Amino acid sequence: MTGIVAVLECRAVSKSFGALLALNGVDLALREGEILGIIGPNGAGKSTLFNVIAGLERPTSGTVYYRGCSMSGLPTHAVCRMGIAKTFQIPRFFPRLTVLENVLVAGLYGKGAGLREAQREAEEWLNFVGLVDKAGSPAAKLSISERRRLDLARVLATGAQVILLDENMAGLSHNEMEAAVSLVRSVRDRGKSLMVIEHVMRAIVGVADRVVVLNYGEKIAEGSPGEVMRDPAVINAYLGEAYA
Amino acid sequence: MRIALVTLAALVLLPLGAGAYAIRLATLIFMWAALAGSWNLLAGYGGAVDLGPVVYYGIGTFATANLMMKAHLPFLVSLGLAGLIAMAIAFLLGTPTLRLRGAYFAIGTLALAESAKQLALAWDRLTGIPLTGGSAGISLPLSAGYLPFYYVMLTVMVLVTATAFWLERSKFGYGLRAVGENDLLAEASGVDLHRLKRRVYMMSALFIAWTGGTAGYWLSYINATEAFGAATTFQMVVMALLGGLGTPLGPLAGAGFLCLVSELLGTRFVYHYLIAIGSIIVAVSLFMPSGLMGIARMAIHRGGKRAETAS
Repeated sequence: MTGIVAVLECRAVSKSFGALLALNGVDLALREGEILGIIGPNGAGKSTLFNVIAGLERPTSGTVYYRGCSMSGLPTHAVCRMGIAKTFQIPRFFPRLTVLENVLVAGLYGKGAGLREAQREAEEWLNFVGLVDKAGSPAAKLSISERRRLDLARVLATGAQVILLDENMAGLSHNEMEAAVSLVRSVRDRGKSLMVIEHVMRAIVGVADRVVVLNYGEKIAEGSPGEVMRDPAVINAYLGEAYA
Repeated sequence: MRIALVTLAALVLLPLGAGAYAIRLATLIFMWAALAGSWNLLAGYGGAVDLGPVVYYGIGTFATANLMMKAHLPFLVSLGLAGLIAMAIAFLLGTPTLRLRGAYFAIGTLALAESAKQLALAWDRLTGIPLTGGSAGISLPLSAGYLPFYYVMLTVMVLVTATAFWLERSKFGYGLRAVGENDLLAEASGVDLHRLKRRVYMMSALFIAWTGGTAGYWLSYINATEAFGAATTFQMVVMALLGGLGTPLGPLAGAGFLCLVSELLGTRFVYHYLIAIGSIIVAVSLFMPSGLMGIARMAIHRGGKRAETAS
């Protein structure tokens, strides 16, 4: 890691909710143009980590750095404007705005574009995620997998350089999954750096350059997908000691 | 656009052909349309249910009256300044209260309005500076006819409506509507929701203060109990909901409908007309939650479909 300036870095990030320690001293770095997988059993702190990085929650201690700048104390919208945006595990949307307007808001405010530019880019991003034919319909009418793609288009429209995908591929069929994986790769090809939470191991192994494993809020392993899958600590966390 | 201009021209010329009673009724409708429309800017687009807008009505009323009587400024100048005072106070009060969400904001603003009323009632006694006349209120000089009020109320209503139309198509409007739909997602998309909400809160305070200041001079007698009374708030809310929340013309439709029905029924059934009005409001909110504008949209939609099948 030394020598390479990380685009995003967490140093000793902890987050507690009352007595529950959701994150405990997590250190990690995301390199420029990298796809970093975040895995771990339920309740390992993955989504909390994303919320802290994207400024939706304040860390109890520790600091998140974006290109070397501390993000401590920045409000959510400012973190987004700096260049970090995340999708939601349960996709969120503006139900009564059209699909296009949902993406437009992100371009206008996240990126700070003017109306015309944001409009054009919103169409481009909808085209990119394959929703352009739904541009005019209310977002509430989309199916679950379409909502996930809308969430992705919105995040891309903010102009963020660091993109956090929180189970953006969950509940997809085999074919949809293939399409989603190639979509994630083409996001990277546009110069973005990504962190991806995913439960489906096949998806993670296929898409991630490196993987960080969390368990009970602590980082227990880090490395290439192959290495991590063979790590006894990881097998133990997922399957119990008998298999380690 | 053409329809809007023709309607506006008709309203400007209306006093040429209408009697005093019709003009007074129209002024009353404009006043309520302006108030309901101002409330709609924050609640209908920004999703924040404010139950204390009457604070700015009261401030507008008393600021205008005092500027006219103490500083001897002309009515329109006093009105303009009263609007600025209301905006400044909205900035100060909005900064903390707009951080409250949902029901907490509603209750907080309701409490704010009640406190403002008590403060206004006690002001003269507490500070020794006579501004509100305590519970006795203050009388204003009799005004010159009813026509100026007609035009001032019309202007405020047009400005409020134009603002709502602007919210439908502008960057600010998209941000505000996003906040109203899902505030967390709006923030995560880069929207500075506190600033946006405060800005629209101040706009709405400006229009409400102008309406209040005009109404006070029109009636030529004002007192704090009424000027800061929750009844005004609730009538604004009911009209906006009845007409259609989050639509530019909904508050106009709601105000026009409720004022006309009250006038028609009120003259015939002096004591019982409120029962009828209550029933209409309940019926609309139960069966037509999107209000009169929803009914209009559906009628247009059906008409369009019929035309399609006929061709």
